[in-house]
Amino acid sequence: MVGALALRRLGSSQIIILSLGVAVLIAISAASLYFVVQARDDSEAVIHTIEVENQISTLLLEIRRAESATRAYLLSSGPQFLQEYEVAAKNILPAMDKLARLTADNPTQVASAAELRKAVEMRLAEFGQGIARIKNNDVATSIDILRNGRASNAVEAIGKISGSMRAEEARLFALRNTSADRSQQMVAIVTTTGSGIVIALAGFSLMQVRRASRARDVAERKLLENNANLEITVDERTADLREANDEIQRFAYIVSHDLRSPLVNIMGFTSELEELRGDIFRRIASKTAIASDGERQIEPVNEEPALEGEDKKLSDEFTEALGFIKSSIGRMDRLISAILNLTREGRREFRPVHIDLNELLQGIVSSVAHQAAEANATIRIEALPDITSDRLAIEQIFSNLIDNALKYLKSGTDGDILIRGRRKPGFVVIEVIDNGRGIDPKDHQRIFDLFRRAGTQEKPGQGIGLAHVRALVRRLGGTIGVTSELDQGSTFMVTLPLDWTIATKGQAA
Amino acid sequence: MSVPVKIIMIEDDEGHARLIERNIRRAGVNNDIVPFSNGTDAVKFLFDKPNGGGSQEGEALLILLDLNLPDMTGIDILKRVKEDAKLKCAPVVVLTTTEDAQEIKRCYDLGCNVYITKPVNYESFANAIRQLGLFFSVIQVPPTQS
Repeated sequence: MVGALALRRLGSSQIIILSLGVAVLIAISAASLYFVVQARDDSEAVIHTIEVENQISTLLLEIRRAESATRAYLLSSGPQFLQEYEVAAKNILPAMDKLARLTADNPTQVASAAELRKAVEMRLAEFGQGIARIKNNDVATSIDILRNGRASNAVEAIGKISGSMRAEEARLFALRNTSADRSQQMVAIVTTTGSGIVIALAGFSLMQVRRASRARDVAERKLLENNANLEITVDERTADLREANDEIQRFAYIVSHDLRSPLVNIMGFTSELEELRGDIFRRIASKTAIASDGERQIEPVNEEPALEGEDKKLSDEFTEALGFIKSSIGRMDRLISAILNLTREGRREFRPVHIDLNELLQGIVSSVAHQAAEANATIRIEALPDITSDRLAIEQIFSNLIDNALKYLKSGTDGDILIRGRRKPGFVVIEVIDNGRGIDPKDHQRIFDLFRRAGTQEKPGQGIGLAHVRALVRRLGGTIGVTSELDQGSTFMVTLPLDWTIATKGQAA
Repeated sequence: MSVPVKIIMIEDDEGHARLIERNIRRAGVNNDIVPFSNGTDAVKFLFDKPNGGGSQEGEALLILLDLNLPDMTGIDILKRVKEDAKLKCAPVVVLTTTEDAQEIKRCYDLGCNVYITKPVNYESFANAIRQLGLFFSVIQVPPTQS
């Protein structure tokens, strides 16, 4: 009992642990997914920053190329330098556009880009002016400008703005790098923690399972023990019961046997008394006759003496008393015989054989054919199943039931007795149905008791038949029941095991 | 010359003994009746000298035997009688209240000549005894020493 409770408690805690484990796993997965996505975003941002930096460099490079081409053209007036300048100058604005596009997501960089564009355009214009001056042979002015080393505002602005843009991107790069690092760190932390929790839960669960299995082992052992004890107890009780039953049987046998001995004397000497009574009253009669007639009359022996008056009354009383004694002795003798027979029946070993019930009952019916004809009764037998049981016991059971059915028919009605049977798993059910006088439901139990009868007592009987039948049916491992109403006929239903084997004999004996 | 048969009655119940005797007499049997109310005395009479069966030369015996004796069972006496070389020819009539078929069979197996169940019904009892008387008169009981 305690073990079972503990097992149930362990079972529910197992479920809780399992649910917890699943929840933790889900949380770990979700967190990992989240952080991985974040890390990817961070990486993309880092790449973006690098791209921006690249683009700034590209732009500055193009500007430097344009500048150096301008200067080379100024010095050598080589047309190839002019061409180089043109290529570079053509690339500058698209590079600027690309930079602006790349930095469109950052307001600070957008502003810077706008300023840079202005500066770049200004610088382009300066280049344009320089090229134009060379074409117009105004090289002196250009050289002058260079010699003065007067750096234009545009160059300065470009340097400053690009520097600040680089700085901004460097700041962002650092920021994003940190963020990516943190994401990765978080993933590591979450995974480690979650795994730890899962491992802990698994460990706990394992512990619980081990405890549960230990508890189950204990419970199982206890159950086995209990079963063994129960079997022993049942065996002991059965043996006790069997012994008690045997004791009762022996007791009944001895008592009834020993009761007969004095009964023989009582009956015998009662008969002696009867003889004596005859002698006495014959003598009285002859004496009276001598006294009255004065002559001796010879009374024939064994004839009732002729008595008158007081003498006759005495003789009658004597006869009556003897009659009561004799009838009581007769009754007692029949009862004792019945008990003897019952105990003898109870001690008889049953020998199970295969029985064709149709044949057996047909035999019983033909043996009572005479009584049936006298009672104007017909007995019908419907197809009956076969059975393995004790032949004599079965014969006695159904002889008694059929005898009863014939004995207690309704006067004035033709008797109709039906015997039918059917099979039920492991059992055979046989019904003996009559249309006789029936039995009051309040007597249904009583009729199976020894020496008890029911209804009008105009038929001879000791009240033994049905008690005997019930004892036999029980020993055969079956049951008997009756359904009946007064004046509505009776149905006796006998349920017997299909196969009364040696195995069941051990229990039934 | 046939010797008159002596009836040995082994019966512990005095009433039964009296009834048996009366009815034997009433049936017209006038042989000597030697009653014993317990097994020990009967055994002593039957087997011990000088009264022992072996020593009673020329005497014919008929034994009426009750199975329920206070000191031994009648079966034992029956067995000893039938095992005795000289007594085994003496007819034994078992008289008892037991109707047990197995016991009856056992008595016949041991060599009892007649088994009579003591009925309470006086008429049939008297009849049985009379038949016993008839039986006495019809069969020639051989002398024990022959």
